[in-house]
Amino acid sequence: MKRIINTILAILFTVAVFAQADLIQKANEHYTKEEFQKAIDGYNQILMAGIESPEVYFNLGNAYYKTKQYTLSILNYERAKLLAPDDEDIEFNLQVANQKVVDSIQELPGIFIVRWWNAIVNSQTTDTWASISIFSFVVFLTMLGFYFFAKTSEVKRITFWSGCFLIMLTIFSWSFAAKQKSRLVNHSFAIVMQPTVTVKSSPSENGTKLFVIHEGLKVRITDKLGDWVEIRLADGNKGWLLTESIERI
Amino acid sequence: MIKKLKVLMIFMLVGLVSLADSTQFVMEGPEVVAMGEQFRLGFTLNESGTDLQLPDLSNFDVLMGPSTSQSSSIQIINGKTTQTSSFSYIFILRAKKEGKFSIRPASIKVGGKTYESNSLDIQVVKGQPQQAASQQGGGAGGGGPQNAQQQDDTPSGNVSKDNLFVRVAVDKTNVSKGEQILATVKLYISQNVPLNGFDQVKLPSYEGFWTKDIDVPTQVNFTREVYNGKIYQVGVLKKTILFPQQTGNIRIDPFEITCLVRQRVRKQQGFFDDFFDNYQVVKAKVVSDPVIINVKDLPNQPANFSGAVGNFSFSGSIDKTSAKSNEAMTLKLVISGSGNLNLINPPKIELPQDFEAYEPKTSDKTIASDKGLSGSVSFEYLFIPRYAGNFTIPAIKFVSFNPSTHQFETKSTEAFNLTISKGSDDKNSGVVNSYSKEDVKMIGKDIRYIKQNKSVLKPKGSSFYGTFEFYSVFILSTIAFAVFYVLNRKKIEESKNLTLIRNKRANKVALKRLKAASGFLKNNKAEQFYESVIKALWGYLSDKLSIPLADLNREKAAASLLEKGMAPEVVTELMKIIDDCEFARYAPAAFSGTMNEVYDGAAKVMGIFEKQIK
Repeated sequence: MKRIINTILAILFTVAVFAQADLIQKANEHYTKEEFQKAIDGYNQILMAGIESPEVYFNLGNAYYKTKQYTLSILNYERAKLLAPDDEDIEFNLQVANQKVVDSIQELPGIFIVRWWNAIVNSQTTDTWASISIFSFVVFLTMLGFYFFAKTSEVKRITFWSGCFLIMLTIFSWSFAAKQKSRLVNHSFAIVMQPTVTVKSSPSENGTKLFVIHEGLKVRITDKLGDWVEIRLADGNKGWLLTESIERI
Repeated sequence: MIKKLKVLMIFMLVGLVSLADSTQFVMEGPEVVAMGEQFRLGFTLNESGTDLQLPDLSNFDVLMGPSTSQSSSIQIINGKTTQTSSFSYIFILRAKKEGKFSIRPASIKVGGKTYESNSLDIQVVKGQPQQAASQQGGGAGGGGPQNAQQQDDTPSGNVSKDNLFVRVAVDKTNVSKGEQILATVKLYISQNVPLNGFDQVKLPSYEGFWTKDIDVPTQVNFTREVYNGKIYQVGVLKKTILFPQQTGNIRIDPFEITCLVRQRVRKQQGFFDDFFDNYQVVKAKVVSDPVIINVKDLPNQPANFSGAVGNFSFSGSIDKTSAKSNEAMTLKLVISGSGNLNLINPPKIELPQDFEAYEPKTSDKTIASDKGLSGSVSFEYLFIPRYAGNFTIPAIKFVSFNPSTHQFETKSTEAFNLTISKGSDDKNSGVVNSYSKEDVKMIGKDIRYIKQNKSVLKPKGSSFYGTFEFYSVFILSTIAFAVFYVLNRKKIEESKNLTLIRNKRANKVALKRLKAASGFLKNNKAEQFYESVIKALWGYLSDKLSIPLADLNREKAAASLLEKGMAPEVVTELMKIIDDCEFARYAPAAFSGTMNEVYDGAAKVMGIFEKQIK
């Protein structure tokens, strides 16, 4: 029963998606005519409907940038980057928009192996990894079949090693897909939305003022208490601020 | 011919008209008089005339006239003699009523022709008592202060604000930024104040304005003018066109001038004192009232507004549209009209990037007059195309603000299409151009353009990974593999059994065939014997080696046997037996062996095979 309901919902969503494709076209046309505010409204209407794509976030970010709302444009570029981590255009525009951010924070460099590993994981989206996993598994099964029914030892040797490689690929891409998915769903990054925010040492108004950050900065949420969240900057500094001053990516 | 005649006639007519025009008859009189004041109305004619017809002068009393006078002069310039003479008729009139009266033209006859003079408007204002008492007739035209000096009974010495003052008159006080204002500094002198001259003059600084002076004669000309119901001699000291450069209320600083006024010294006349009055020149400093100009900012300015305020026309031209590379070209833009011409920034032109452009040269031809600053400003842009190709300079836009309509006006030229061909002047540069590489210049920085491609829209947070479909693909493919494996294994098993059976059966079948062969041997039927032997051999090999009978030939059989580890001698023997059988069947003459030998050989070979091939 639940299955059926889900299927119906999926079909309804597809219909909605088709309707939104027209809206994207329209919003893009507004952007081309430099009617940026109308374009922003158009893109937001699509996102309101509960659907998304990296292109919509990217274009919305561009429209915000053109209307000089740099903080909102950074937020949307970051959202686009989450969905398409390896897109060069998104990365470029995000860098351009980040030049408008007041705060300059030296990012702590990670260990190079970890960075490479993350680069590999981020090079594909969840669904791409999932598809790779499925494909390599199917090829693995085929290889297994060849191995079992091969007549000559030559064929057996080749299929054995390729089968080993493929099952490894399956397992890794599965885990990458899982990692990407959790990054999408459970990530804790946010953008500062208020022009200037004083970060406190404790979750209360009376806390010692630690440092001041400005809008557009990317922070990581590490803890939560009532209206307060604990954030961590890229350089490792931590402090508390009110939830309303940031927006989760 | 007729055309020529016509032209000639036109010239003659023009000549006649100009001849007729040489007779001038002019009526002169003051513009403003006080009631009861005597004034002079004069008529001047440059030839002798008769029968002067006066216009209706019922609003005035004619006290005297006409008194006629004549003057003539002879001029000899470069041997050319010209004679001019003038006849004047002068009437002394007095105004009876207040008001504005117009005197219709008078007429006079010269040589049988009637000429009409101009008409005059005279304003009559309420007279001042002391003036009414004065015996002096007001001078016509510009002799006011001089006349006033001669007045004996003028109560001089009271140089008050009413008698002598300066005023900065502006034609408007509410303007837009950049709109031109005409400011006139006027000196007002009452008729009875004797003015000797000026001393220090302090001009207003016109702070907050860009100014342009209008030329006024250095000799101050006085005219009569009514101000606040009184008649003054008014002299224009300075005329300036002002262009406000800032917004808000701008104060024009007062104008200061020190006038030298002759005053009679009034003292108790003793007996031994001078019989005549004593005069002394006193300095009277007069200061004008400050003027406040309210300047409004321009309504939201377009981005490419050049700062031009006024009424302009705009045109652009280029000296050539096709040229060779490295050849200089000039684009000229001309803005003409009335407004703040000198303050216009050169319009921006968008040249193709590889062009070398120089600062535009600005030149202006402007005239400042009472109507404002007018004329034209031209901007010359010199540029040098460095590479050959077809280029376009887009239409150049000029945005100006029209204060009369309170609107921004955009005027533009057409776009210029340039064809640049390759120039040949590279050789004298001495550098081989093809070897000098250039970096790609980054002209600007901007975000990349939006993505136009069709994007795959998905519900938020959804992904293929982790869905039922994702897992089911894994499960289904595993099941499919398992099913395939089991089925395939079974089939292999079955086919394995089949070969085993055939292998085991081979000997039996072969022996059966050989048995038939031995039957033929006993009956000495050679043909049938050899046939059955060869059949038995092939059938045996087919079963034993799992090769279908149709595919079997000698080479294949030999290769297969050797592969299975048979000794080459045995294989050679087998081949020999097969050869013998075939020889015996098809060429019995060439065959030397016996049927018994063949039979024994076949049985022996099969026996060896049976032992060695499992």
